[in-house]
Amino acid sequence: MKPFDPVALATPAFVLLVIAEMLFVRFTGRGRFEAKDTAASLMMGFGSTIMGTAFAFIFLGFAKLIQPYALFHIGWSWPAAIACFVLDDLRYFWWHRASHRVRWLWADHVNHHSSQHYNLSTALRQPWGGFLALPGLMFLAPLVLIGFPLPMIAFVHGINLVYQFWIHTESIGRFPKWFEAVMNTPSHHRVHHAVNARYLDANYAGVFIVWDRMFGTFVAERDDDKPRYGIVGQIGSFNPLRIAAHGWVSLGSDLWRARSLKHAALYLFAAPGWSPDGSRETSDSIKARWAAAQPAMPAPVPAIGTVPVPGTAAVQSPAE
Amino acid sequence: MLLYLAGSLIGVAAIVALAGWLFGWRDAALDAERVAQALAREVPGFRAGRASPDTRAVLIEDARDGAVYLAVARGDGLVTRKLARGLGVARDGGTLTIRLRDFTLRRAHLQLADADYWEARLKGLAP
Ligand SMILES: [Zn+2]
Ligand SMILES: [Zn+2]
Repeated sequence: MKPFDPVALATPAFVLLVIAEMLFVRFTGRGRFEAKDTAASLMMGFGSTIMGTAFAFIFLGFAKLIQPYALFHIGWSWPAAIACFVLDDLRYFWWHRASHRVRWLWADHVNHHSSQHYNLSTALRQPWGGFLALPGLMFLAPLVLIGFPLPMIAFVHGINLVYQFWIHTESIGRFPKWFEAVMNTPSHHRVHHAVNARYLDANYAGVFIVWDRMFGTFVAERDDDKPRYGIVGQIGSFNPLRIAAHGWVSLGSDLWRARSLKHAALYLFAAPGWSPDGSRETSDSIKARWAAAQPAMPAPVPAIGTVPVPGTAAVQSPAE
Repeated sequence: MLLYLAGSLIGVAAIVALAGWLFGWRDAALDAERVAQALAREVPGFRAGRASPDTRAVLIEDARDGAVYLAVARGDGLVTRKLARGLGVARDGGTLTIRLRDFTLRRAHLQLADADYWEARLKGLAP
């Protein structure tokens, strides 16, 4: 199936780098760790790998189902692999953006954002319920329908996830301008994980930050607004089972109480925080209120965003 | 496969032990000041009113509208919730136990000098 799995191959390096960052933080104070949080993140990563393996057949089955309708039959070559890598990163951007803007997908992705810390162990805090976030499958379809071989898609996406590991850190400041202009970096992804109103729904990039610049979701990190990490209603548990389930439990209870099919559909597909009477906060309402409270300035608030932010790193993306 | 799983779990345990050794396990101590600052960032216009600190949890009012917030220490961070009617509230002397309908924050115990005040306050909350 896969020639080899870049994420599995990189895991020993992930472990060594987490240890190195812990020592660095301990001795320089640049960054924050906390033992219970780290334990929760690592167990989320462990469980995500198991769940991802157990339910891989859903994604593989779906890909095989639509593969006969592919436009081309692209073989293995370096140019094809590079094109596949870039297009996979583009589709990752849209999957990730949808994962913040559509409650059904957010129920899963929220796990990655549920830590109040931002360090390399946060990269491993991955969701378990990708198999429930079925609309995520749609984002896999274009690459398959173009005709890239499935092992190639899996391979380039593995590289993408490995890249995203190292950007989950406060120990690195900023890179030279050209690098920050093109690539996703610790600085850009800190913004994605921040709950500060200014930073909500921004920087969905995987590897290339150019997608956010192109589609209007880029927000630069500012020294006068230090990121605070997590989600808008921080979770109160370090238990991996509760963390993994909390987004699904809250969505399920809203669906259970929905008074009409329309409400149920909006609970599933509207932005996180949508409610029939508008009594809950959404990232849009938080940002609007924040913008209104700013002293007159040309508020460059992107119209579209999500709630807590970003990314993902290492282990398993629900789109796989 | 089993070997891989066991190896992973041992690796996780080793990293967590190291993190515990380097950074500690205990929840941070809370005080009303820190909670008021956190709420001021989260709730636009929040003005701290009466507050009763336990070291691990704090009850605090918004002086503008009397809304009551609970803050609980979690690791070195804190978690806040605006409280509304429908809580379970029980008092045993100076110990107040609050049960929330919240999947990740189910209950909080507070040792308060004025537990009777807060019991009455929480039982009289708006929906
Ligand atoms: Zn995200
Ligand atoms: Zn991330």
